[in-house]
Formats: sequence, structure tokens, C-alpha cells
Amino acid sequence: MAQGKTSLYRGMHVYTLARLYHASTMSCTRCLPRLLLACARATALSAAPQGAFLRRQARLTQGLRNVHASSRRTENKPTAAAHQGGQGDGKSEDGPGQSLVTHEHLFERAARDSRTKATFNRVLDVFVKRDIRRRGHVEFIYAALKKMPEFGVERDLSVYNRLLDIFPKEVFVPRNFIQRMFNHYPRQQECAIQILEEMENHGIMPNIETKVLLVQIFGEKSHPMRKYQRLLYWFPKFKHVNPYPVPHELPQDPLDLARLSLKRIANSLDAKVTVYQMPSTDISEMGEQVSEPFVVGIQSPEQRLLLAEHNPSRPVFVEGPFPLWLRKTCVYYYILRADPVPPEEKVEKPIDLERSFFYPLHLDLDLERDLGDDDSFDVDEVEEGTVFAMCMTGLGDQATLAKWITGLQETNPILGRIPTVFRLESGPREIQSTSEPEPTAEEEHLQSQEMKQ
Amino acid sequence: MALSTSTRLGACRLGSRLTPPCWGVVSTRGAAQSYRRPGQPQDNTPPWKKIRFSFPKGVEGVKKHFGLLKQEMVERWVGPEGRSLREHMLEQTKLLWEFRGPESLEQWVVSSDQEIGGKSEAYLKLGRNNQTCLLYGTLYTAPPRDGETRYSGYCTLRSRQPLNAFDRKKHHDWSSFNTLHLRIRGDGRPWMINIATETYFSHQRDDMYNYFLFTRGGPFWQDVKIPFSKFFLSSRGRIQDNQHPLWLDKINTIGFTLGDKTDGPFQLEIDFIAVCNDRAHAEEFAYEKYKRNPEV
Repeated sequence: MAQGKTSLYRGMHVYTLARLYHASTMSCTRCLPRLLLACARATALSAAPQGAFLRRQARLTQGLRNVHASSRRTENKPTAAAHQGGQGDGKSEDGPGQSLVTHEHLFERAARDSRTKATFNRVLDVFVKRDIRRRGHVEFIYAALKKMPEFGVERDLSVYNRLLDIFPKEVFVPRNFIQRMFNHYPRQQECAIQILEEMENHGIMPNIETKVLLVQIFGEKSHPMRKYQRLLYWFPKFKHVNPYPVPHELPQDPLDLARLSLKRIANSLDAKVTVYQMPSTDISEMGEQVSEPFVVGIQSPEQRLLLAEHNPSRPVFVEGPFPLWLRKTCVYYYILRADPVPPEEKVEKPIDLERSFFYPLHLDLDLERDLGDDDSFDVDEVEEGTVFAMCMTGLGDQATLAKWITGLQETNPILGRIPTVFRLESGPREIQSTSEPEPTAEEEHLQSQEMKQ
Repeated sequence: MALSTSTRLGACRLGSRLTPPCWGVVSTRGAAQSYRRPGQPQDNTPPWKKIRFSFPKGVEGVKKHFGLLKQEMVERWVGPEGRSLREHMLEQTKLLWEFRGPESLEQWVVSSDQEIGGKSEAYLKLGRNNQTCLLYGTLYTAPPRDGETRYSGYCTLRSRQPLNAFDRKKHHDWSSFNTLHLRIRGDGRPWMINIATETYFSHQRDDMYNYFLFTRGGPFWQDVKIPFSKFFLSSRGRIQDNQHPLWLDKINTIGFTLGDKTDGPFQLEIDFIAVCNDRAHAEEFAYEKYKRNPEV
């Protein structure tokens, strides 16, 4: 979605909220009025978890005085350069403002040895210590934001806070009403908003540290502060809005992942997951590696009943693979289904009164019901075949799926008498419900599994 | 009536090339083009050069619009919207759209970020046995390389604005209901429902009311009930500080958007869209409206 710069100030991005059912918690929600630096020092003694941060703030305060003082004294700069030389990162050759080396280059050079949070933080440190005036910090922050996914720190709140920490403090705070009325230091404010927007896009809830930083950098009623308040207002509202939540960290083991996804799509609490085959790797007599893929299936008691009532002269189909998205990962599943029952074969089953909640045994009430009591929808049912079971495998070929059917036969003996047709596609199937009359193109094997038990 | 812009024709041609040769497929392109991409020259052709006069089309238009006018006048004698007053007042559920044939797809517009230079594709077609509508395609989040656009990757299905005779706007009136009811089947991706209402000022043109539509995935259908009180106001994709409940008496369009920043294929199958009156739901608005958020 394209957006101009003006809309940046307007609010939160609507769509990102849809993906946010994140687990980050806020350490402290109480409203903190303007946190004066002296106050920060005082609380540093009491608030243990924030102690480290506030200590850093205190350190920064001293640095701040240096900033203000350094406008007159130029000999501060060599000391900073000396400090940086002491880092031993080999970056001392391009002094501040002297080279045409972009800030991205700084990250790329750091990424040569390792792309970790520690490396990323070291680059930030190098920048902060290079120039006491933090010259070019806006460009540097934009470059850092761009490089964050590469270093794998895009979901790390502390890194975002460190990025905000790069801004010099108290310089951009408006001092009179005219400055407050107009957009004071717009580039810097836009940059800070961009940091907050990246946090929003990744579903990171800012914490009190972010707020303190923003108050120190831009003042209380600045645009980044507003953005922060919006995040804090809307994120908790939509935190648990997803009825089918997916964990942020999906299980690494494909077997566990298959279990999770099968339970998700089964929509039945008494559906049972069965592992038909564990993954294993063997070395055959020929010396080749033979790896057996896993086969995990799920079936609920209702589905078993329905399969038992299935007319054995009609085939059942193994179809797939169908995609299922769990956040950013896509897994594929296969289903065992029948064709829809033709209308002449349908039997109206009498409702078992003792098992139904909705049909009480006797109700001899003479109540008049009219249109105002009719809550049903005037819509035809979609004619679809019953789904009898679902499975996920490590390898979606016919031999593997036949193992699933064989395993299913133990609990559903009727499957031995029903012909099973494999309608598989080589790639992931794009459309879920088009087993339309062109199965000739697909590889279709009629494999009547007349296995005698 | 007799005018047809060249963009629409071009879009049809492009769409037919992109889609598999199957009847009833509506192409990705075809939405109204009001957005001018960065770097694109302004269209300076004078309006009279866009006129394409065609006599048979004019006759067709006259027929259609006078037919609509007649229908409008006759309907009024039966009751509101051509239904009896008893039905209008007492009904607790109302079916808005069901997909039971190729003509039901004509009320919908599919669009994707190809309009802003992205690469996503979205198509709409009828599902199995012509009973459902299937929205499918692929999402790509790579932003267009025009130097300005920062995000990309969305696909949208939007209903057409209903029109009366002589292209006057007609609105859906859902004021006697309080819940949206959908029967869908997705693939686990989160969608967003957008409801656009009639507004008074032109700067409210992009206002929409949104809520999330989470799909579970899997082969089973999913009944979703969303109270209208949950919808929040947004404009151009940004949540607004001043929230306001959705007024249900003049609804223009309803839409579904996918934009979860994940590259890959997607699909959403819709059985029907309806509104109902949930008598257990008493909430007026789910968000604070007595003050601005954040408070100034």
C-alpha cells in the first residue's frame, strides 16, 4: 500500500494489526509524565529490572552535557576518535564526514564475520562513539532499519530502543509555542516514526524505555510520541483477537509441526492424532540411504462413524496436497474424502432424540413462531463429499500415502473393501476444491486395495 | 451510458491473458484507476477525446435504465425494497450475497497491488459445482521500484456499488441487524473485512470500517459472526484517532483484503455473506469514542 509521507502521522497501519497476536508483554503501563533525568536516577535505585537501562540513561546524561559543551570545544572530537580506534574494529580509517562510505557499508563490513545481535550492537556502538555530535544519525538509522532483518534482530525490542538511543537528547525538543506549533525537526521526527512503524510491523510492543527515550529526544507532544501512544492504545486491544492463534515460534520438529497443524484444521476436540510412521533413516543392503518419511494422521470418532456408514461400492479419494499457512510457513496436508452422495441415495436419518441437544424429547407447547423468531439463513447447503480423515507426510508420493491408508484400516476395517483412488498433484495444489471433471491430466491411479485382513 | 473508457477495455484484454481460459473468471485488473503511480505521466487527453459514441450501446442503456426506473416505482407499492412491510420489519436474518452462478460474480471486483506496480495476482472464480466463490492467487510483497512506494503486497475483493436507475447510488440498509455472518473456508491466512459507507464530505471518501477475519484452514467450513460494533474506522489504511461506530443505514460496499506480508499462494472460499440480528449482543461500540485517542 502506497502512502505518502503525510499519512505517516495519521495513525497506525490497519493491516499489520491483523497479524498481531504477539506475546510480548509490557513491563510497566503507568503513565509517566515527563521523566526528568534526576528522577531517572532516583528510580534507578528502586526499579531493579530497569536499573541497567536507567544507568545507561544516567551515563547518557553525562554525555549530553558533553554534547552541549562540545559546541565550543573542538578537542572533544579527537578523544572520540581515539576511543573508536581503541575498539579495534578497523573502522578508524574513515573518519566522520570524510569518506563517501555509506552507512550500509558499515553493516556489510560487520556482517562479514557474523550476523548476530552482538555484531549489530557493535556497529551501533561504533557509530555512537565515532562522533560526539552524532552527525548523519538519521541516515545511519535508516540504514540500520534496512539491515535489521539480515541480522535477525527485527523482533528484538532492545535493539529498537538502542536505535532510538542514537538520537541526541534534548536537541529536538521544541522550546516555545511556535516551534511546537510547526513541525520541529521534521526529518528526525519522521525517522523516529519509521522506527516505531517497523516495531508495529513486526508486532513489537514498545515499553517504558521507549517512552522515556522519546520524551527525552522529541518532547512530550511530538509526532513520534503520538505514534507511541497509538501503538499502546491499539496493540492490547487486538492482542488476543485471533480465535485460532499460532505461536510465534513454530516447533522445529516436522512431526510436532504436523501435529499442531492437524489439530488446528481438525476442528474437533476429540479428534485423535496418530503417528503411522516415524521418520527414520536406514542404510539398505545396497549401501544406499533409505529415509522413511513421517506419516501423521488425524481422525475424529464422528468421521470414523461416517466412514463406517459409507457405501463400499463408491470409491474414496485421497486428495492433495492442500496448503495451510501458519504465519509465514506453509505446510501441506492430504485428505481422504468421498464424492457427494447423489440425491437418490440419500437416506433421511431419524434424529436420535437422546443424543441431541436441539430436539428435546417432548415439547408440547403451543407457541406461535413467526418470522421474527426465524434465525436461519435462506441458503442452500453446499453439496460436498464427506471428509473422513486428514494426514500430513514428509513426502507426498503415493507409496507413502498408501501407508497411511493401511494404517487407517486398523481402526476402519471398511477401508479394505472400499476402492481408494489417489488424486495427487506433483506440486502444491492451488485450488482447494477443484477436483472438477479434468482429472485425466492428473496422475490418477485406481488402486483398489482389496487387502484381506 | 454510451461512454466506455479505454482503460477498462485494456484491462479486460490483459486479464484474459493472465487467467486460464475459463468462463466466469474475473481478472485482477479492472478497478477504477484513480491512483497515479509515481513517475507515471499525467493523462492530459481532453475529456472529449475519450468519448466513444455508440448507438446500440445507447439504446441498451436506455432500456436498462428505464427498466430499473419502472422496477423502482413498482417496488414502492409493495413495500421497502420490493418486500412486504411485515418481512421488512420482522426479519432477523438477511442473505446479502450467495454464490450460486456466474452472474453472482459480476457484483464483485478483484484487484491487487498490480495497480501500484506490485506483482501479486488475484483471481475470482466459481468453486466446485458452481456453488461457492473462490478467490485465489499469489501474494508478492516486493514493493515496486519507483523510489516512493515502500510497501506492497495486497489482494482485494470488493463488492460493486449497487446502482439505481440513471446511475444513482443505492445503499444497503442493514440498520435492523447487528452482526455480519459469513461462511468461509480459507487456508489459515488472516484477512480483513472492509465496509465502506456513504459519507458526506469528499475528504471522507477513503474512510472505511475494518475488522479482522481469521481463517482456520483445513477442509471444513467456518461460520464467522462479527458484530458491527467491533468495526473500527480507518482512512487510507491508517486507524483514526477519532473513532466512530459504523452507521448501518447507508452501506456502499464490503470488501476482503489480504496483506499479511507473506509471499505465496492464497485462497479464500466464500459460501455466503449475510447479516443477522444477534439479540444477545448489546454492545454499541467496542472502542472509546468519548475522547480522542491519544488524548491531546
